[in-house]
Amino acid sequence: MFVSPARPEQQEKPILTNGIKIFVLLFFCLPFAILLLQSFSAGWQWPRLLPGTFSWRAWQSLSREPRMIPAISITLLIGLAVSLINLILGIPAGKGLAHYRFRGKSLVEAVFLLPLLIPTLAVVMGIHIFMIRVGLTNTVWGVILVHVIPTLPYTIRIFRHAFENLGSKWEEQAATLGASQLTIYRTVWLPLLIPSIHSALMLSFVISLSQYALTAIIGGGNVVTLAMVYFPYFQSSNRSVLACFTVIFALLPLSFYLLMYSLYKLFIRGPGHYRGC
Amino acid sequence: MKKLVSVILLFFLIFWVAGCGGSNEEAAQEQVTAGQAENILQKEWAEIEKLAQGTEIRMFMWGGDENINRYMDEWVAPQMKEKYGLTFTRVPMDAPEFMQKLLAEKKAGSQKGNMDILWINGENFKNAKTNDLLYQPFVETLPNYQQYVNQQSKNITTDFGVPVEDLEAPWGKVQFVFLYDSAKIPDPPKNFAELAVWVKANPGKFTYPEPADFTGNAFLRHLLYDAVAVDKLLSTGFDESFLEENARPMWDYLNSIKADLWRGGETYPQSLTQLDQLYSQGEVYITMGYNEGRAEPLIKQGVFPETTKSFVMEPGSIGNTHFLAIPYNTPNPAGAMVAINFLLSPEAQLEKLDPAVWGDNTVLDIQKLSEEQKNEFAKLDRGASVLPEEVLQKALVPEVGPEYVDWIKEKWMHEVIGAE
Repeated sequence: MFVSPARPEQQEKPILTNGIKIFVLLFFCLPFAILLLQSFSAGWQWPRLLPGTFSWRAWQSLSREPRMIPAISITLLIGLAVSLINLILGIPAGKGLAHYRFRGKSLVEAVFLLPLLIPTLAVVMGIHIFMIRVGLTNTVWGVILVHVIPTLPYTIRIFRHAFENLGSKWEEQAATLGASQLTIYRTVWLPLLIPSIHSALMLSFVISLSQYALTAIIGGGNVVTLAMVYFPYFQSSNRSVLACFTVIFALLPLSFYLLMYSLYKLFIRGPGHYRGC
Repeated sequence: MKKLVSVILLFFLIFWVAGCGGSNEEAAQEQVTAGQAENILQKEWAEIEKLAQGTEIRMFMWGGDENINRYMDEWVAPQMKEKYGLTFTRVPMDAPEFMQKLLAEKKAGSQKGNMDILWINGENFKNAKTNDLLYQPFVETLPNYQQYVNQQSKNITTDFGVPVEDLEAPWGKVQFVFLYDSAKIPDPPKNFAELAVWVKANPGKFTYPEPADFTGNAFLRHLLYDAVAVDKLLSTGFDESFLEENARPMWDYLNSIKADLWRGGETYPQSLTQLDQLYSQGEVYITMGYNEGRAEPLIKQGVFPETTKSFVMEPGSIGNTHFLAIPYNTPNPAGAMVAINFLLSPEAQLEKLDPAVWGDNTVLDIQKLSEEQKNEFAKLDRGASVLPEEVLQKALVPEVGPEYVDWIKEKWMHEVIGAE
């Protein structure tokens, strides 16, 4: 155990080397800047370095799309629900796999990993038929459930590794001091797991955000997420409109991140050194 | 090892569950709907309109074009509300997705779906028809179809060679044209021989989407028509050995221009969108595609240069029709029929033809319209990039069956990509 969770603060000022700065600039900032520029351009012919004319047209036509605001809200809602379900299922599963030995553990592990090995679209036909029978198709609940499939394996893996690294000593120590299971979860595991919770939430949200086919088939057109409105535009020749959509699409995880961050600040008040990285 | 075995077992379990369909209940329920359907189709049109009053319909269609979306949301939807009290909702979804959805619903024996109208053609229609995914033959019932559509036209009665049999109503039709920048090409080629000369003189400025793409395949079908007359193809029927013998010039032609294509023919655009983007960036001088009017909105949006014009070449320009169908499990067949009938009305078709709106050609027979309506259609300026109706009509050639699409796709890999 070389990463002691109690003192991450000393290592917390990573030095951004120039190489990393250039890398970030080149591969993250520049493409995004070009995207922004593209969204304001009207006709950008090949030899030109910058667009010939600028216009609001693409943004205007986007603002006229009546599905935009409902689509963003439902996308956020689904993403949030999917991430929370991931936490509720992923933390116990990860802990179980990390700390306990039991019969059939490898089978359970395999089941948890399965959605990563088999493309979800290959089984969605069967899932779909099942969902029609139980009446979950064409509902938000159905979409949330089906989004859990491609996200949960990642979450379980994240927590499994986290619990493996943390070991069971912390829990035992708290238990000898008389803490109940609930108290242990709340005061020991939760603060220690914050970095992992952070990654798991973010990852599940981003994966849920980008589901097109699953949402289309299970949501059946009753649940119109941003991906449903946005993806068909890939077949359009108007790159400015596509660029606008992409900017909005990229802003969603960012706002989710900020939302999560402020929630931590509000609800989890531990001593400063629990903040993690 | 243990892990592997369990994974394999699970695999089987999942597919077994997926494969289990309740075939008995399906058949029983099917009869029930069939009974209901006949009832509605036997009713008077006025009564169907009454049934539709105050109901809701949902139309599933590709949603990647802002002009088409706006036509549906801002023109069609309010009109339907006003005229028939129909609440119209457009649902953006690609055809493969809603077809898969429908197929699963059929397998699960669902009798009440949430789709009322589907926008399909070609391959999707063929699948829907062979899998019995569509509603009863309803097209004959529509007053606007009876009154304004030429029911003898091959473009109306067949969809990519598949007989329509009243299962889907024509909505619009498009013709294949080449688009070019008239500032860079003063005199566009008139046939494939001239095109080859032009390509040689302007290396790197022409290419076509690979034939796995809808448009790329259509480009190659034109070349096939050039090698073998389309009438001959239609009268012979799909016959691979006949094609082997007679289509040789087509592959020779493609190989002869290959070295002078964009990027030396080493790679081809994967989709029309990519070719359009190359064209809009000025990398190539010619793009192409179905819908003779599609350049207009793109010119207005500044995506294509203002000097964009169009041309057709010998041996003609392939035209095809796109259709509206009703899925077998629609919750509101009366509403769907009323909506489709409205979409076929002269006013809805005229609005759709307007280049500022969509620019999609009408399926109505102009001769069957009233004088006033004829004038309105004649008055409408489709834009400078659209060829006159006479030129298009003269060049129009029909579509051959979907077997040719696959044949071209495969052969092209051997003959053009494989030929080194």
